[in-house]
Amino acid sequence: MLEIENLYFSYNRSSTYLLNDINLKVPKGSYVSIVGDNGCGKSTLVKLILGEKKPLKGTIKLYTNRIGYIPQRVEGFNPQFPITVSEMLNVHRKALGMKGLRLNDSILEKVGMKEYKNSLIGNLSGGQLQKVFIARALMGQPELLVLDEPSTAVDVQSQREIYSIIKGLNKDFGVTVISVEHNLNAALLNSTHIFKIENGKGILFSVDEYTAMLQEV
Amino acid sequence: MFQYSFMRNALLASLLISILYPSIGMFLVLKRQSMIGDTLSHASFAGVALGVLLGINPILSAFIFTSIAGLLIEGLRVYYKRYAELILVIILTLCVGIAITIISMGKASANVNSFLFGSILTVSDRDLLTILVMNVISITALMLLYNKLIYTTFDEEGARIAGIKVKLVNYIFALIVGATISASIRIMGILVLSSMLIIPVAASLQLGKGFKQTLVFSILFGFIDIIGGLIISYYINSAPGGVIALTSVFVLFIVLLTRRFYLVP
Repeated sequence: MLEIENLYFSYNRSSTYLLNDINLKVPKGSYVSIVGDNGCGKSTLVKLILGEKKPLKGTIKLYTNRIGYIPQRVEGFNPQFPITVSEMLNVHRKALGMKGLRLNDSILEKVGMKEYKNSLIGNLSGGQLQKVFIARALMGQPELLVLDEPSTAVDVQSQREIYSIIKGLNKDFGVTVISVEHNLNAALLNSTHIFKIENGKGILFSVDEYTAMLQEV
Repeated sequence: MFQYSFMRNALLASLLISILYPSIGMFLVLKRQSMIGDTLSHASFAGVALGVLLGINPILSAFIFTSIAGLLIEGLRVYYKRYAELILVIILTLCVGIAITIISMGKASANVNSFLFGSILTVSDRDLLTILVMNVISITALMLLYNKLIYTTFDEEGARIAGIKVKLVNYIFALIVGATISASIRIMGILVLSSMLIIPVAASLQLGKGFKQTLVFSILFGFIDIIGGLIISYYINSAPGGVIALTSVFVLFIVLLTRRFYLVP
C-alpha cells in the first residue's frame, strides 16, 4: 500500500535531519501506529505521506489515490465557523466529484452521527467532531486511512467508539490504516504493526514483537 | 423620490451591490481579512493616481493596481500564515504611500473626498452597466468556486488533500475582490465599501446558522442597510455614504440585542 525508501527530512536545511533515512513498507490491510516522543517527527511523516511536505531525499510510493485523512484538529480551527456537519460533508463530496445527498446520511449513520447532520460544527464535542472527520474521510471510500492522534482532546467513551469504528473498517473492509499515536495502549490494542521513531530513525515491529520488547525492558 | 433618475440609478446600483458585496465579504470575514476593503480601496486610489501620472486611463490603472494588490496579499500569506491582518497593513502602507507621494508631488490631482465617501447619487448609466457586468462576472465566478472556496476557507489542508488547487482558488478569489472593489470604489467610497463588505456578515454571523443561511442573511442585511441608508439620506438631505455606514452598524446592534434577549436563552 505504501513504500518509503531512504527518506530524509529537515525543517531547517542546516540542522540535523528530523527524519534520517526512514524506510517503511506498509502492507495492504495492515494497521500501523506510528509512535515516538513529542517532536520526533511522527506528524511530519504523515504530512510527507500526504504530500503536504516534500522530502529532502528519498521516495514515497503510494499504491492508491483513495486516501482518507483524519486530522488531529483542523489547522487554525475556528469553532465559530458557520458550517453544519452536512455542509462540511457536501463540500468534501463535491471536491471529490461525487454525487448523492443520501451518501451523507449513510456515512453519518456509520459513525453514529446522523442526528447531528444539521448541527454547527462548533457545537460538537471533540469526540463528535472527530467522528465527523472520520465520516468525511470515508466519503471517497478510502483504501488508506491516515489519522493524526485520533484520541487527542476526546473523552474516554468517544475514544472507544472512534477506535471501534477504525478497527472495524480495518478488519471488516480491509482498509489500511496509518495512525500517529501518542496513546500507546490504544496502539497496542488496535494495531497490527508499530512503527517506532527515535532520533530520526524508524523501526517497524509487529505488535507482538513490540509487546515482547516492552516486557523485556 | 424615485421619480428622479439619479435616485433610480442609485437604487439599482444599491441592489446589485447588496448581493455582491456580502457574498464576497462572507469569505473575507471567515478568512480573517475583514480590513481588505480598506486596503484595496486605497490600492484603487493609488492606481488612479498612478494612471493620472502615467497618462493612462485611471479606471484601467485602478483595476490593474488593485488586482496586483489583491494578488500580493495572497502571495504574502506564505510569510505570515497566522497574521492575515498584518499583510493588509503592509499593502495598505504601500498603497497610501504611493498615492500620497504622487498627489503631494502635484503630479496628479485627485479628489480624496470622492474616494472616501463615494457618490452613489451620481451613478451614471455607464457606471450602472459597469457594476452590472462586475456583478455577473463575480457572482458567476463565486458560484463556480462556491464549494471549493468554502472548503479552502474552512480547512485549507483538508482541501489540498481532497485535490483542490487551493492556491489557484485563492488567487482567483483575490482577483474577484480586487476587480469588484476597483470597479465600484468611485461610486461606493472606502467607507461604504468596507461597511457593505463586512458589517452585514458580522450581523448575520450572530444568528448562529450554517453557511448557506448565513450568506442569505448577509445579503438580506446588506440590502436593508444600503436601501435603508439611501432612503434616510434622501429625507435628511445628507450624503448617502455616511448614512448607509451608520444604518449597517445600527442594524448590527439590533441583531446583537435581539440575540441577547430573544435568541440565546
